[in-house]
Amino acid sequence: MRKFFLSAAIGLAATVAANKPLQAHGPVFSPGPETIFKGGTQLTLGFDTEGATGVGEVAREYKPFLEAEYGVTADWQVGIKIPYAWKEETDRTANGLGDIVLDTKYQFWKRDLPGAQYKAAAFLQLELPTGDDDSTPRLGSGSTDVFTGIATGYESRRWYWFASGAYRVNTKGAGGLEKGDKQFLNVVGGVRPILTEYKEPDTVLMLELNWERAGRDELNGSDLANTGGWQLFFSPVFWWTYQQTAVRGGVQIPIAESLNERQATPDYRARLELVYHF
Amino acid sequence: MIRIIRTAVFALVALLPVTVFAAQTQYRLQVDGLACPFCAYGIEKELTRTDGIAAIDIDINAGAVTVTTIEGATMTEAQADQIVKDAGFTLRGFEKIKARAESGKD
Repeated sequence: MRKFFLSAAIGLAATVAANKPLQAHGPVFSPGPETIFKGGTQLTLGFDTEGATGVGEVAREYKPFLEAEYGVTADWQVGIKIPYAWKEETDRTANGLGDIVLDTKYQFWKRDLPGAQYKAAAFLQLELPTGDDDSTPRLGSGSTDVFTGIATGYESRRWYWFASGAYRVNTKGAGGLEKGDKQFLNVVGGVRPILTEYKEPDTVLMLELNWERAGRDELNGSDLANTGGWQLFFSPVFWWTYQQTAVRGGVQIPIAESLNERQATPDYRARLELVYHF
Repeated sequence: MIRIIRTAVFALVALLPVTVFAAQTQYRLQVDGLACPFCAYGIEKELTRTDGIAAIDIDINAGAVTVTTIEGATMTEAQADQIVKDAGFTLRGFEKIKARAESGKD
């Protein structure tokens, strides 16, 4: 764990020391249509956490991650996300490498206006079964899963909005368990309270509404009880940027849900990221 | 005598900027899609990869990028268009501004 943090911190610090540039705002908890400029690289050092309670269980997850993305063209980027998972379930804990994600995004439409930009993109992510699925609790799904969808948005000097829809296909994993497929719908609004000049610190505040629906899990072809249903999250997020560096983060709070039977439900999810482009 | 020296000094001072900056040229790029300081770094990055660029000044509120070339270097509208496109924006206008020395005479 300490070695992972150290390597990530050294890598990021070395990049920051190189003093090179970056770009683009987007949602924090949902996909956005922004892509990196041609030949640009974006490094993100992030931290996800989630707490869930219910049916006599308390679960906590802490997941630091390192993500790298590269702009093949101004419209097309590829990337990799390497998570380290630390999970607690009541009196059991496990930690180690999580499921590595490979991703690509193509911005298929863009309209530039003075001081504003409309854009839309399609994305595809492949989650590999690299996490330990024999541990208790499991650190990985043990399955190769696909996450795909489209995102659109508007960015101007003052206002922002984004919308996206996505589908996650889960395949059969460890022990014959197949998690239910998931659907996602997101809408986001944002504002830059103070219009700043180039090379000045800049803050953007956003509110996301994230809807998620999961199908029932299956075990060897049979539906499992206490799985599936939908949840709606209210998510205030922020972006703070200064020259080449961005800090962004937020909290997801569940405000409505309809889950099948009895399930542990998330109390919160939080994310904090340090982003750098060069 | 004093008047002659004073005149000569004034003339020298007036001509000095012309001598120093005579070969530098400035271009004004009007860029659409430029919405935030963070995004603008894409343009700076693409410009700094280009040979012959001496200075870059970005005015986000005006959507304008002013590029100063080094002595003997020039920039074409096609070059500027490609640079802005690679940064993820659209070039709306391209204008060659008077060389810095000439503007000093105005």
